[in-house]
Amino acid sequence: MRLLIACVVVLIVAGVLGVALGWPVGWALVGFSAIPAMTIEWARGELDDLKPEDKYDSVDDILSGDILGLLSRSPTPYEVATIVGQVYGGQFFAARFGIGSGFLQEITSKDTADTAALWEEALGVAQLTDDKMITAAVLVVALIKMHPKHEALLAHLQLDIDDVIAGVRWQNHLHNVVMEYKKPRRTGGLARDWSFGWIPTLSEFGQNISTSGRMLSTQLEAHKDALDQLVHILSSNGHQNAVLIGPAGVGKTELVYVLADKLLDGFSDVPSDLKFRQIFLLDAASLISAAPGRGELESLVMQLLNEANSAKNIIICLDNAQLFFEEGLGSVDITNILLPVLENSNQRLILTMDEQRYLQISERNGQLANALNRIAVTPASHDETIVVMQDHLMTIEYMQKVTYMYQALEEAYRLGSRYIHDLAMPGRALKLLESAAGYSEDGLVTAFSVQQAIEKTMDIKITNAHSEDEREKLLHMEDLIHERMINQTHAVSVVSDALRRARAGVRNQNRPIGTFMFLGPTGVGKTELAKALAEVYFGGEDRLVRLDMNEYVSNDDVTRLIADGADEPGSLTAKVMKQPFSVVLLDEIEKAHPNVLTTLLQLLDEGILRDIRGREVSFRDAIIIATSNAGADRIREHIERGIDIEKFESQFVDELIESNLFKPEFLNRFDEIIMFRPLKKDELLQVVDLILKDINKTLELQKVSVTVTSDAKEYLVDAGYDPRLGARPMRRVVQRAVENTVAKQVLSGEVEAGGTVEITLEQVEALLSSKKTADKIISESKAE
Amino acid sequence: MFLVGILTWWYGDGWRERAGMVGGRIARSNDYFSVGLLLSTLFSPFRQISAGSVDGSFATQLRAIGDKLISRMIGAIVRSFMIIFGLVVILLQAIFGGIVLAVWLFVPIFPIMGLLMMVIGWVPSWL
Repeated sequence: MRLLIACVVVLIVAGVLGVALGWPVGWALVGFSAIPAMTIEWARGELDDLKPEDKYDSVDDILSGDILGLLSRSPTPYEVATIVGQVYGGQFFAARFGIGSGFLQEITSKDTADTAALWEEALGVAQLTDDKMITAAVLVVALIKMHPKHEALLAHLQLDIDDVIAGVRWQNHLHNVVMEYKKPRRTGGLARDWSFGWIPTLSEFGQNISTSGRMLSTQLEAHKDALDQLVHILSSNGHQNAVLIGPAGVGKTELVYVLADKLLDGFSDVPSDLKFRQIFLLDAASLISAAPGRGELESLVMQLLNEANSAKNIIICLDNAQLFFEEGLGSVDITNILLPVLENSNQRLILTMDEQRYLQISERNGQLANALNRIAVTPASHDETIVVMQDHLMTIEYMQKVTYMYQALEEAYRLGSRYIHDLAMPGRALKLLESAAGYSEDGLVTAFSVQQAIEKTMDIKITNAHSEDEREKLLHMEDLIHERMINQTHAVSVVSDALRRARAGVRNQNRPIGTFMFLGPTGVGKTELAKALAEVYFGGEDRLVRLDMNEYVSNDDVTRLIADGADEPGSLTAKVMKQPFSVVLLDEIEKAHPNVLTTLLQLLDEGILRDIRGREVSFRDAIIIATSNAGADRIREHIERGIDIEKFESQFVDELIESNLFKPEFLNRFDEIIMFRPLKKDELLQVVDLILKDINKTLELQKVSVTVTSDAKEYLVDAGYDPRLGARPMRRVVQRAVENTVAKQVLSGEVEAGGTVEITLEQVEALLSSKKTADKIISESKAE
Repeated sequence: MFLVGILTWWYGDGWRERAGMVGGRIARSNDYFSVGLLLSTLFSPFRQISAGSVDGSFATQLRAIGDKLISRMIGAIVRSFMIIFGLVVILLQAIFGGIVLAVWLFVPIFPIMGLLMMVIGWVPSWL
């Protein structure tokens, strides 16, 4: 092209010079300059952007120009793969999907006989994506589809064939946006506003969103009805106001921006009385700060509304309109001013509001609700959210200097749905997508970046176990748990397996990590295992969300269980919303009201519980453990008869169902029902060691350590063990005996810092001299 | 093949595209100078000055009508100037576009004309 331009310039200059010097050959040179000039025009007008033929004889007729210009006469699929990597469509796939030329070359053949099948495949893809031509992006998909095991290949990149087809649509969408942007707009011109009034106050206190230069507002299919309704209301004869109602993040303000764009577009199909009208956004906080005095704000708002009304081309938008109808920090109640305007004036007004707030305001002021035309704005679907993200990426990528991969978009949608509760789609996915920019690797935002973003902001674990430390911890989970609890190996291994499955990424993502019911008498380690798990893997005992179900014994308690966090911070949904990565312990589940148990069914099955506001709270990153003492008498009876209760497990569950304590559908929801057996004497000795370890940890500050002789330990086990309470009284008995002895010795100066106190059988006997003393301690434990 | 391809495009889609570009430029100028809008609001009060209805005595209302009339006259004068200016620009663009479209038709015969001129051997004597 440059050569042709140079030819034109040289011929014209030489020709003119020739004529000027009196050489007639100059005319010929000037005349012949038309040939390269025409070629340039032809190339620009037709060849660079070949239009598809309606009826094509060969694939050349519908192959895009950039590919056609580089292909040989009989190309192989391998050659096509190489060329695709050199042009925009192929490079788009390399950056956005990680499908580069190298990958395509690896999976394609070098046999020209396969090329016909490739064109055939490409035609099919083009039809699927509504492409009139076979572009580089279409060829990428066709090359992948040619491979017999393409699904497996794509799975390595966390993709499937629908994703790469969506990639072609994404590239087409970007192309269309650019073409649309290049098209001249008709916005009314220099004198557009000459027949409308001056608006100095509005210009000072409001934001003109029609002319503020914000670009790329996305009109969603989900919002089409709402937009049509809005246009209809604003151009009708009745109350020309509308309140857009929907959850935060759903795109209410975006919808107003789309309307502003539409109104200022001379080509749009809006009614003529709305064309070139401008939308001014009023912000409650800035108005309050501009007019802080009593009465000042009212007069400012009146002035703004009068100005808008006189100008005749202004639509006022009150974003977060609830702030104009309630008293509080950053809000002001100007219902008295707005109500007459809404009811009688022909000033066009748009309000945006949260559903909940709208209901509250309607309840308080029915007249206000009657004066407003309500339009519901619904959340975006998956495909729409992806399109919104793609549109927003144009700005985000430019601002943050990063490139997002398609996998990051899908991950933002998936994780946004699961973890972000205070926003609706597409807002929740966008929020996550934006924060993922900070976790890019070499400027590339991947699915892993999105996972990291949510891990850091919400303190949960999403990514598969990747650090050596964590892998070691997972592989030796049983040993770590047994450092603080004795035996119950079956229960420990079942719970550890569930965690390993979760962190290896092979578990069902649509359920909690694991749901277990621990059955057994008191003091055998059911709660202790939950605590141990929380400490060993989840990062501390504060990761244990514990609910004593004996506090949920009436039907009304269901409401308390799923209450809004703002009103009831201790509700189950509020706690897990704040801390999704946790161990949820439902202690003494048999005491809960049957309706409470019914409420928990969906939680156990799908890992979802709706709170009182209808928000889905995810339990899919939690381990759910329910403990029960149900049938403790029956278990004790078996123990006394010397029957091994592990063999009695399935019979016991049947008995539990027959007793009507739990419904079968409730018990069936648990991954495993595990029986905890009472500890034997040798195990109780190990429990004493664990308790002593704890006591020594406490005494570390005094620089004193304690040892207990074996016969003293045996005495402590005999004194502290109760078949009905298990090992629970043991801690109290050991603490009482040991701590009292140490206290006496420290006070009498028998032991100094750095010393060791050895507790003998005699000392323990003296302290717990009578069975009465031990029984008293045990009865204290029972009372607890 | 080259010659047939380029000439088919030049006198077909090429000329139509060029005509479309000329039309687009005229439409853009029409929008830029708001000619359509100005014509439809030619006698509207300028910037809505004295546009509202006024309550009061007959004299007050008479004065308001007078004010409105003046506002409308000023509006009409200002708009007329803009319309005339816009129309002149559009006319000039149309003439220039017409010339371009006419010359476009003769470009393919420029080489023949150049050869003819060379054979005739005429060069301007004033150079």
